[in-house]
Amino acid sequence: MSEIEATAAPPRPDLLLRLRARLDDLKPPLRVLAESLRGAESPIDFVAADPSGQVVLVLVGGDGECLELLARGLAQKSWAEPRLRDWLQLAPNLGIRADQPCRVLLLCPEFRPETLAAARSLPPGSLALARYRCVRAGAQVHALVETVDNGGADASEGSGRRGESGRESPPALAERRPSQGAPAPPFRTGLTEDDLDLSPAEKAEFE
Amino acid sequence: MPRELGDVLHFFLGDAEGPDPEGAPFRNVAPPRPAALPVIALPLSERDVVRAAFAWNLAVEVARLGASATLVAPDGGDPSPAWPEPGPGPVGADVRRAAAGDLAELYRGAMDVAVSRAADAPEGGLVLVCVPPVWLRRPEGGAALTRWSLLFTSSDGRDLLETYGLAKTLLRLRPDARVGVTVHGARGLADAESAFRRIAEVAGRRLDASLTSYGLLVDDLHVYRAIVARRPVGLAHPQSRAARALRDVARLLLEDAREMARV
Repeated sequence: MSEIEATAAPPRPDLLLRLRARLDDLKPPLRVLAESLRGAESPIDFVAADPSGQVVLVLVGGDGECLELLARGLAQKSWAEPRLRDWLQLAPNLGIRADQPCRVLLLCPEFRPETLAAARSLPPGSLALARYRCVRAGAQVHALVETVDNGGADASEGSGRRGESGRESPPALAERRPSQGAPAPPFRTGLTEDDLDLSPAEKAEFE
Repeated sequence: MPRELGDVLHFFLGDAEGPDPEGAPFRNVAPPRPAALPVIALPLSERDVVRAAFAWNLAVEVARLGASATLVAPDGGDPSPAWPEPGPGPVGADVRRAAAGDLAELYRGAMDVAVSRAADAPEGGLVLVCVPPVWLRRPEGGAALTRWSLLFTSSDGRDLLETYGLAKTLLRLRPDARVGVTVHGARGLADAESAFRRIAEVAGRRLDASLTSYGLLVDDLHVYRAIVARRPVGLAHPQSRAARALRDVARLLLEDAREMARV
């Protein structure tokens, strides 16, 4: 059996690949939607969603970068939040909640006390911290991730519905057709059937 | 004469059959310079990212065809971050925000642009005006803006119903309105043709109105990437089907704009 030993982080592309595989193991688990998305002046390493559909922006830093990464994370959060509705329009099956603020997850080898203090001063649920370690097992390098501060994102409750499996499917998309008796949802323009004075016969033409 | 999608289908066929969209320049006829450029109203929500992007990209394609193109939208509101910045844009397509709180003010703002841009438009051009759909419900003094309008629709039944409803609203404002329809997101030409025919047939029967087809647009990854990057599709991916479709729809709009300017 190969020995497992701590090792230096591999080059950044490899590191991101290995960390990406670990995001699913976090609590709550994260589903990656995009990688290296150009955000506010710099890339967002991963744009992900948790089981409730809350968007999580994941930034990966190296040694000594935790405080700067915190500032970048908040900037990216500010950049991304106004765009969530647009993303949902462009990709309706994304399964994200545009009505919720983004959460930021910072991954660093270590977090300085200053960074931890700054993180704790932020509103609950806005920022989470996780430490990563790289280990070598034989020829393979693996990344291990350990949550330092989940920022109030309680894995057992989450911010949305929980299923029996503990893994949520993305939140149901808005129904295009109302349930019986309920008024029809607005059209894409925001107007309703009443606004457009549509008769039942006219509606039936397009069913 | 109302245009059927079939009349313009050749624009949207594959390379082997259609005209080369990048090769031949727009027709080499110098039109008489009008006092004001034609104005076309596009009823769409400022938060409708895809259709707002189509509007902007059409303006860019009109400019790429050598004509004047301005996209006007009312100031204020809650525009998407993907909305282009005001001012001169790529290839001279202009974006203007008009101080307007209703349809009448928007019409006056659009006409100011139409007159001022006409002076510098030897090849003619077009002013595309994004109209908040809710303003159509209180059109006092602004019905003139809807003389010519363009509606985007997918082939989905609910979208077709909405487009029919908008056409009905526009024709109530102005029975002489020219209402155009561009189908987007269709699975293919047949799907787009079927969608247009469906809505045109219902409009003809129930509203006694002829809708004008302005072809189809392609919703594909290039469009979405261009939207996110805030770059026109025609410049970001000029050889893509999406860019070619935009160019063809722009040609159709420009042809009608020139015809209107001559009348």
